Amino acid sequence: MNAYFLPRDRVDELVGRLLRAAEVIAPKRVETGDVFYSPVSSPGEVAWDYKTAVEPLKRFLLPQQETVLRFSTGEKLRVEPVLEEKDRIFLAVRNCDVTGVNVLDAMFGGEIEDPYYMARRRRATFISLACLEADEQCFCVCGDAGPFLKNGYDQQWTPLAEGMLIEVGSDKGQALADAHQDLLSPAEPDQVAEKLQLAKRAEETFGEFRSYIAAAMRRLTLAETPDEVWERLADHCVECGGCTFLCPTCSCFTVTDRLEGDGGVRERHWDACLYNCYAREASGHNPRAEHSQRLRARFFHKLSHQWAQRNGRHACVGCGRCVVGCQAWAHMSAATEAIRRG
Amino acid sequence: MSNPYLPDIATIQRVKPETYDTTSFTLKFDDPGVWERFRFRPGQFVEISVFGAGEAPFCISSSAHGREDFDITVRRLGRVTQALHAMGEGAQVGVRGPLGNSFPLDEVAGKHVLFVGGGLGLAPLRPQILEVYRQRDKFQSITVLYGARTPDDLIYRDELEQWQNLEGMRCLLTVDVGGDGWTGNVGVVGSLLSEVKFDVGQAVVFVCGPPIMIRFVVRDLVAMGFGEDDIISTLERHMRCGIGKCNHCIHGDKYICLDGPVFTYRQMKAMMELEP
Repeated sequence: MNAYFLPRDRVDELVGRLLRAAEVIAPKRVETGDVFYSPVSSPGEVAWDYKTAVEPLKRFLLPQQETVLRFSTGEKLRVEPVLEEKDRIFLAVRNCDVTGVNVLDAMFGGEIEDPYYMARRRRATFISLACLEADEQCFCVCGDAGPFLKNGYDQQWTPLAEGMLIEVGSDKGQALADAHQDLLSPAEPDQVAEKLQLAKRAEETFGEFRSYIAAAMRRLTLAETPDEVWERLADHCVECGGCTFLCPTCSCFTVTDRLEGDGGVRERHWDACLYNCYAREASGHNPRAEHSQRLRARFFHKLSHQWAQRNGRHACVGCGRCVVGCQAWAHMSAATEAIRRG
Repeated sequence: MSNPYLPDIATIQRVKPETYDTTSFTLKFDDPGVWERFRFRPGQFVEISVFGAGEAPFCISSSAHGREDFDITVRRLGRVTQALHAMGEGAQVGVRGPLGNSFPLDEVAGKHVLFVGGGLGLAPLRPQILEVYRQRDKFQSITVLYGARTPDDLIYRDELEQWQNLEGMRCLLTVDVGGDGWTGNVGVVGSLLSEVKFDVGQAVVFVCGPPIMIRFVVRDLVAMGFGEDDIISTLERHMRCGIGKCNHCIHGDKYICLDGPVFTYRQMKAMMELEP
């Protein structure tokens, strides 16, 4: 795939053009100093110097709550789908988060497509910004999701000393480069070399958190993890569900109806497999009544070979958000460590 | 792009109380064109919408042959089933499906066919019983063993009576607790297995009922010599979407809604090893 160079003084010009072409979602700093992926309206709003965003990209493709159907229950029942479609460019988002979207693609695509997710996904373009320095909770190197990627993005941007190196990863990314050729020049070999140097240096900046994914995958796949591991994790976990909501690849949802006027709407909401009521049936029978059973099911779905096979890869991208969000010690890093030790 | 979450509208044609808390509903699509696409196989399920109350999964309980409507048999338990029980003939519901896999039929031709049902577990077996009986020339014998808690819990009472007098089918009933007027067998459904006289090496068994009943019956069947691939059951979970997206029905490495609901005992054992 092609690589281009965008001089520093032309970055804002290109971002300005993107803003005129589509809704642009980019890292944006709020008053507290935290960074969220949010719609931006001017190039100056993009927080190029951020490390990680508080939330992943999931909510832009799978909103926390969305209306899927509208129905009227008057004389004759009428049901209509509610689909949202608009062009969106995700700019300067992290590679772990782009990888998270790729996992969601496998879950919501496939033989039976989820039309709500796919309508948004088809009109989304992902321009990632490679990380030069890991944040303290990061372990994307363990998750095979960064800090630099070889593919999976539409474009990957790397901030070099004099400007951006732009690597193209898809037809969509190429079309975008083609449309703005006047701002770009083909990348020079020394610019590519500079990127490789930065990538190498970035890998040396990881902190104390890691994830023993290979060990966990083997033991989960073969059901070799002793029950005590899950019981111990259950002692720590407070079942807040925070890890699932912050996770770029957790995508469980539930569906409810809400009455409105002489009809109503059917909505879907994020759900969490850690909640006691998650699998409970109307009869009261709960196949995962024990907290430890729910933790085992969650990590099996995340990391087992069986599910990795189905989704094309395991479902941890090493963004570290569960580490930040966990009120206890039951996040991915802690769990894989516990599984490894048995 | 077709929308797998968009239900087709159907109207309730018939409401038939089965027991004090269980009722069968006959549903027919308002748009007759839907039926051509719908044509289900025994073992498949549907997601039924009672708009305003929500959506829930139900197995189809009627014959897959010779009809242009279908039945579901519903126990009044949760929000959706209570709303459904309050509906009468002419009321409209939403239907998504047919969903999931189905019972093997051609694959088990030439065998003795045994059905073991407990309580409402007879409902998913009924389309298969009717289909096997319709094609009875292809099978060595057909036996239906059905048990419920009390005589008042037996569903399809009129049909059971008919089945007991049919040529080419053996149908035995039992209840856990008898009562006035019950002259039949008393005991759990597994106690009827002693009536099975055919060569289990040439047989296939379809089992459905409450989880505890399945567990004991399957244990007995294995002891009798049934092969792990010849014991076939249908599982239920809290299936929200029915198409492998919401993840609620995951058991081990399977989606009950997509990979099932029909599984062999060999498959169920592998799932139980991953997620006991």
